[in-house]
Amino acid sequence: MSTTISPKNAVQVEASAEVKAVHQQMLRQQRLNRAATYAVAILLVLWILVPIYLIASMAFTTPAAVRAYPKGVLPFIPFSFETMNFFLQSEGIIPGVINSIIVAIITLVLSTLIAAPAGYATSRFLFPGRDFYRLSVLAVRAFPIVVLSIPLAVVFINLGMYDSVYSLALMHTALALPTTILVIGSVFASIPFELEEAAQVFGCTPFEAFRHVVLPLVLPGIAAAAVFTFVMSWNEVFAASILTVQNRTLPAQVLAVLGQSSEPYQFAGAFFMMIPALIFIFFIRRYLFNMWGQVSK
Amino acid sequence: MNEEKQSTQKKRKKINWAPYWLILPSLIYLALFFIWPMFRGLGLAVYNDEAALSLQTEPSRDAATAGTLPQGTQVEILDQQGNLIPPDEAGQANVITEVWYQISAEDADGNTVEGWVSESRIRVREENEAGAPTAGSVRTRIGAGDTLTEVYSEPNENAEVAGQLEARAEVAITDQSILEIWYQVRGEDRNQTVEGWAQSRYIQVFGETNTGRIDRGNTGQFTTEYLSKMVNDRFFWPATITTFLLMILIIPVQFVLAIVMALVIQARLKGNSLFLYVFTIPLGISELAVGILWFSIFTQSGFLNSFLQTTGLINTPITFLSADTRYWIIIAIWLAEVWRATSIVMVIVVSGLQAISDEVLEAAELFGASLWQRVRHVILPMLKPSLQVALILRTILALQVFAVVIALSGGDVVTVLANETYRQYSEFRNANVAAAYAGLILLISMGSAVIYLRMIRSQEEMAA
Repeated sequence: MSTTISPKNAVQVEASAEVKAVHQQMLRQQRLNRAATYAVAILLVLWILVPIYLIASMAFTTPAAVRAYPKGVLPFIPFSFETMNFFLQSEGIIPGVINSIIVAIITLVLSTLIAAPAGYATSRFLFPGRDFYRLSVLAVRAFPIVVLSIPLAVVFINLGMYDSVYSLALMHTALALPTTILVIGSVFASIPFELEEAAQVFGCTPFEAFRHVVLPLVLPGIAAAAVFTFVMSWNEVFAASILTVQNRTLPAQVLAVLGQSSEPYQFAGAFFMMIPALIFIFFIRRYLFNMWGQVSK
Repeated sequence: MNEEKQSTQKKRKKINWAPYWLILPSLIYLALFFIWPMFRGLGLAVYNDEAALSLQTEPSRDAATAGTLPQGTQVEILDQQGNLIPPDEAGQANVITEVWYQISAEDADGNTVEGWVSESRIRVREENEAGAPTAGSVRTRIGAGDTLTEVYSEPNENAEVAGQLEARAEVAITDQSILEIWYQVRGEDRNQTVEGWAQSRYIQVFGETNTGRIDRGNTGQFTTEYLSKMVNDRFFWPATITTFLLMILIIPVQFVLAIVMALVIQARLKGNSLFLYVFTIPLGISELAVGILWFSIFTQSGFLNSFLQTTGLINTPITFLSADTRYWIIIAIWLAEVWRATSIVMVIVVSGLQAISDEVLEAAELFGASLWQRVRHVILPMLKPSLQVALILRTILALQVFAVVIALSGGDVVTVLANETYRQYSEFRNANVAAAYAGLILLISMGSAVIYLRMIRSQEEMAA
């Protein structure tokens, strides 16, 4: 018996040594891969962050330091609010900021109010024409802003609604609506219908079930969509430049004077326009995948 | 049995209207602010609302048509007539009216003069409760040798002169008439003389002479005028070429970079959520801000020159962004766009990757597939639907690059189609040519989407 076992044992011992070696090699390989992945990740992070850091350093220093050449290797020195103050006190900036905020808030409210029922309908009901509706919304999403702005400007002139923040908000709502419908649809779809049914079984009316069960669950997602709409409207420059003349939004104002403005003005302006993105994207980053993942389904 | 069947049939036939009511507001909104303007825009590009003016045989809206003259035709003005129109019609938009006052006053010799004077000759000093003028004085005529103002027996300059008043003479206004002025004009269209009457708002009169031109027509016509204006514009070809060049330069690099980013996210490193945040930041940054940001790097006293100079690589700053170094501007736009718009592709790719089950990837890894093999044979084929969507979306977005170009080139040295749309509208005040550019962008967007879809389908057919 022992004679039959011992060769087997020997083979096993030999094999385990080989496996160990392979295993170790694989581990080493894996560690190497991981280190390489980290290196790539850090490079990519630097690629994104270094330009932002550079412009931020220009926004928070003295105008003299902005104009200096060569610029310091370590900007932010001297640290100062002078450049930013200069930008904010320039003509048309504060009204521009106020206009931008008004437009963005109207857009946000209007698009959420219109999109929420539509999103609910597409996720809760299987109705004839549903796929066609979703497809049309997607197709509309793909149309360029440039194409819409000119005819809307002409229409608004004829209606006497030109150069108004409200008209611009109507246009921005049209731009935001398709995305908002799809996103809110996906948010509703992620809440099982059984929850609503269960609430109704326990005696809630359909409205109560919606109000007390579904709404608290979807609110964060809808809020994220609304925040994204806000950022989109805040950033939008083409339609804003076409549709407003006196009542310019912030990007339209900066663009209009870009050719005649000084570098401190431009750099501080650029960083100021980035602030909402830096703050809001942090809060909604998880929902971004809901939003754009939806588009590809 | 039969009854049961009928009842189920009835149930099936009953349509649930709730979802339709819920989607209705969005449909109305999109129709109003998306689909209608889209068609209106295409119309602006190929249709001239004011292409021709139809002339009438009599100075009246109800008169027969005498013929038409195209917009811009030089005309002789033969006669003029003011038609009385009721006050309620005078308020209508687009009706240009002239008001005449019936007055009575004393002339220089002390005679009472009664008659009609145009509104432009009287400064109103008193009005009654209804807002109608009751008294005024004759305006002084600056620079005119003849200081007397003529009073006519009828509200018409061709009428008999009832008297003359000196400047500043006090007048009592007893009545007013609202007139619509008509001109009798004669012009030539394709060697045929056309003569007839038209309202004053269509005619631009040259000075005091008896000539003028058709300022705008009242009937529309299809025209290729705007399209040919666009194609013959000196910025058209540079803009078209640069737009396509940028698309070809930007999109492939973006896709490679986005897939690398997505793989990094998929590797679930420590601090993954931080990486995710950083990679998605550019998604929310305004195009204009990105343009300025890269301008701060490439401008003559910018960061790139500063870096090269402090490290001793150069002695004098290089001029990157000038008309002589267009390729540097293109490179700057390229970097700015790759920096800004890769995030969106990354997000789509990541959500596509999440749909691929981990088992598939692990299996591939277990069988000894290298990273490249995994990407090439497992990940890319499974990502195809996401990549397709990202490709269409990116192409359409690439056609809209606008503020980045203005920030980095000033809009003249290097230009793109979206910038030309803006220029035609804002600088040249030509909405029609701008609409033609916009239509071209729409055409390219739709064309490229169709081509992508076709390409992918034909590949699938070949595979099958």
